[in-house]
Amino acid sequence: MAKPTDLVQGTLDLLILKTISLEPKHGWAIAKRIQQVSQEALQIQQGSLYPALHRLEQQAWIKAEWRTTETGRMAKFYSLTRSGRKQLERELANWVRLSTAINIVVQEA
Amino acid sequence: MRILDKARLRLRSLCRRPNVDFELEAELRFHLDQLIEEKISSGMPPAEARRAAQRMIGGIAQYKEECRDMRRVNFVEDLVQDVRYTIRSLAKSPGFTAVVVATLALGIGANIAIFTIVHGVLLRPLDYPKPGQLMYLTAEAPAIGSTRSALSAPEYIEFRQMNRSFAEVGAYSTGGTAYTTGEVNLSAGGRPLRVRSISVDAHLLKALGIQPEQGRFFTDEETSRWTGTLPPPIAILSHELWQTAFGGRPLVGQKLEIEGRPHEIVGIMPPEADVMDHHTQVWLPLWLPPNMARQREAHVLYVIARRKDGVTAKMAQTELSAFLVNWGDRVGTRDHVPTNHPLRSVDHTLQLQSLQDAIVGNARRPIWVLQAAVGFVLLIVCANLANLVMARAGSRRREFVLRTALGANRGRLLRQSLTEGAVISGAGGILGLLLASASVRALIRAYPTSIPRTSDLTIDLPVLLVALGLSTGTALLFGFVSLGRRRTSSMMTALKEGARAASGAWRHYARRGLVIAQVAFAVMLVIGAGLLVQTVYNLTRIDAGFDRSRLVTFSMTLPMANSEPETRAQAYQRILDRLRSVPGILGTAAMSGLPPNRTRDAIATPIENYTSDNGKPFAIIDYYQFVMGDYFGTMGISIVAGRGFERTDNASQGKVAIVNEVLAKRIWNGQNPIGHRLRPPGGSFGASDNVWHTVIGVAKDVRQGGVDRPAGTELYISLDQHDVAPPSMNVVMRTTLPPAALSGTIERIVGEVAPAVPIVRLRDMDSVFAESIRRPRLLAQLLGAFAGLALLLAAIGTYGVLSYMVTERRREIGIRVALGATRSHVLTQIMKQGLQVTALGVIIGLAGALAVNRLIASLLFRVQPTDTVTIAFVIATITVVAVVASWLPAWRASRLDPNVVLRDE
Repeated sequence: MAKPTDLVQGTLDLLILKTISLEPKHGWAIAKRIQQVSQEALQIQQGSLYPALHRLEQQAWIKAEWRTTETGRMAKFYSLTRSGRKQLERELANWVRLSTAINIVVQEA
Repeated sequence: MRILDKARLRLRSLCRRPNVDFELEAELRFHLDQLIEEKISSGMPPAEARRAAQRMIGGIAQYKEECRDMRRVNFVEDLVQDVRYTIRSLAKSPGFTAVVVATLALGIGANIAIFTIVHGVLLRPLDYPKPGQLMYLTAEAPAIGSTRSALSAPEYIEFRQMNRSFAEVGAYSTGGTAYTTGEVNLSAGGRPLRVRSISVDAHLLKALGIQPEQGRFFTDEETSRWTGTLPPPIAILSHELWQTAFGGRPLVGQKLEIEGRPHEIVGIMPPEADVMDHHTQVWLPLWLPPNMARQREAHVLYVIARRKDGVTAKMAQTELSAFLVNWGDRVGTRDHVPTNHPLRSVDHTLQLQSLQDAIVGNARRPIWVLQAAVGFVLLIVCANLANLVMARAGSRRREFVLRTALGANRGRLLRQSLTEGAVISGAGGILGLLLASASVRALIRAYPTSIPRTSDLTIDLPVLLVALGLSTGTALLFGFVSLGRRRTSSMMTALKEGARAASGAWRHYARRGLVIAQVAFAVMLVIGAGLLVQTVYNLTRIDAGFDRSRLVTFSMTLPMANSEPETRAQAYQRILDRLRSVPGILGTAAMSGLPPNRTRDAIATPIENYTSDNGKPFAIIDYYQFVMGDYFGTMGISIVAGRGFERTDNASQGKVAIVNEVLAKRIWNGQNPIGHRLRPPGGSFGASDNVWHTVIGVAKDVRQGGVDRPAGTELYISLDQHDVAPPSMNVVMRTTLPPAALSGTIERIVGEVAPAVPIVRLRDMDSVFAESIRRPRLLAQLLGAFAGLALLLAAIGTYGVLSYMVTERRREIGIRVALGATRSHVLTQIMKQGLQVTALGVIIGLAGALAVNRLIASLLFRVQPTDTVTIAFVIATITVVAVVASWLPAWRASRLDPNVVLRDE
């Protein structure tokens, strides 16, 4: 299982921002979505997920509201704010630059 | 925009904390439910799914904590929580709290009090504009050990004219001829007050740069260019005297009687204006009789000068040195001018120093010694604090480990510990500050003249900053020590061991080390205090040359303006006669100068068949003592050769004098002085002409310039033979009665003879002595108090460590007793441990004391810094204290019942 510490520093934020960029999701759905899309390679522990969500909310990059899920329960849905969208773009650009660089180094060696 | 959003969110987390927590919990519960559902749908039985999910999710509390961390409002939240928790937990152990806060308050309080003195006296600039420019010019005569004495009037005027370094050079005198003792009688109708006076010239007021609060200053015409035969009848009052004696009513332009002569009040000084810490109440114009203004031998003026902008102290010094090379050539006389190589006893040189240094004088070293002492006390307090906290941390180990298990991280625990430290040292600091302010005020009240610059002793910003610094330092110490070295890896063991948790070996060493340090510091302090107590004892035991038991004295002044030398002599004679008839008074006499602390007269006295080192037919005699009545008998001064004054001398034509041993030795150098003649200037005591006096006896030396200073040369003249008297005399009575019982009688008798004259300083000679050694006494008392405190703290430290050790080793002791160890065996073993620690501390402390005590050598009198008696006494005291402190825990250990102890475990 990939522990959160195994993720490159700051990557979790990027994953969360990307995941909710299309539509608002609650915490559970965010974790599941990342797991699915990464084909089970990335397992997000709730122990790192919720603190991260709180941090992002505190940065005012995401906002939360209570809504009803399909199953009729109340859950906290997170969506991107305007500054969050900008942050996502920045982090994406960073990530592309960083991963390209790493790839070059790794393949070179 | 984002900043506002963030602020709003954080504010929300702070204000609506329960709400936020609730939301978080709901969110996590939702997550848990989803997990369970997922597991059930994958085919797990519901109960097992729930368990598995919960295992996966772990403790909700920890997430809550982490999420709160993410919200970044923790700091405030935690602080509030920590403070409340700290107060709760401290309230639960009131004994611990009381001891810690009280020792901290004492340690911090003592430090603040002494730092107030260090700051107010040594560090704070003087209360004049640009105080750094002010310098003090004094005459030094190293060959006869005279230092910081006054300049002659011609010298002062020459220096004023020659120098290029100073913007203004002024002079003052607390003596002078018109006003003899730096005090005057002042009256506005009723009974006069005796107030402290100073005579200043106009230049001095300009040099100091003070402005009168009301009215004006003296002008040049009223001081240096005044040509009258008496000083101009004008005066300036201090603000304080104006307020206390005259209630602040308009006074400028009105007349008051000073020394029986009406003086116009031309001004009022601003509050706290003073010169050289004289506590001046009345400022008078400086005036010298024409003969004194010309006489180079009469050293009467103290000189204060203000450097020009841009001139450094060094430049001024260089300029003065150049003058000293050829002062005589510059002023056109070789007659008693300052020189740069004052080798002979008649030579003197001039010295410049900063005014602040001159005011502080020799109080500097005692003050720093006290500061060092309270620094030691604070170190001991901190060591004690660390020890207490470590002991407490040992028993709180379980609490901390439990909290770590529940999700508190190390930083959080540290913050909690620091908060505890801050609360405790905050309380200690505030109490200490109150203590310091009260004790400084009490100190000033009890010893008004023992500390220079008392009016500058206030707890102001720098002092408060130091207080804050001390509190913060102790808070940090407390926090780090109480958290200690705790590894989470040992969590399990700690939880299992519970309260009885074994502390690591380092902790033992640390605690013993702290006690050793405490003992060492205490030893150093107690030795220092012991040496000073010895010094004071030696000073009180000193033979000042007269018998001071059952001796009562007072002083009075018959103003010069409305009395003649002859009428004064009659008045004093009548007072002495009437006092002698009072039952209980065995003998009376009067003298011009009261030993053992008078200012040097330094009067040039022609001596028959004598040539001084510089070829003059006169010698400068340090002290003139004009006496009335049976002086030597009343004072108990023995006559070592010849005879004392006798009644038959009064009628005889040939005038007689008595010299002291030092004068006899210096002038006649081993020959018999009796029969030789000298000619004291009659003006010095009110006689109209200078006549030859024959030496009839040699009196034992009396210390006049301080009990710890060698006696100077002294000449006694009997006023009864001349029928004149100077204005001020000190009456002395040999009596079985205390001063208080005599005061009514004295008031009545003096009132009958001289109704308008106040009686001042009525006291017994023992208090005169106590007054003369007040500084060493105060230093010894303070240092003694600090040493006692240090000793007490070291004892508490030793006791604490041993009791803790006994508690920790209960089991071992129990087993050993069960196996046959006797009680006395256990007792001696524990005591040995305590005494070992003490012995190490004593050895280190002795080494420290030997290294440091050189610094107080100059404060000691007739005792060496390495005095073996003091050191032996200190070691004995510390050993006794250590035995007592170790005995209690050792006794408790020896009483342990193995049955109880072993069953407990």
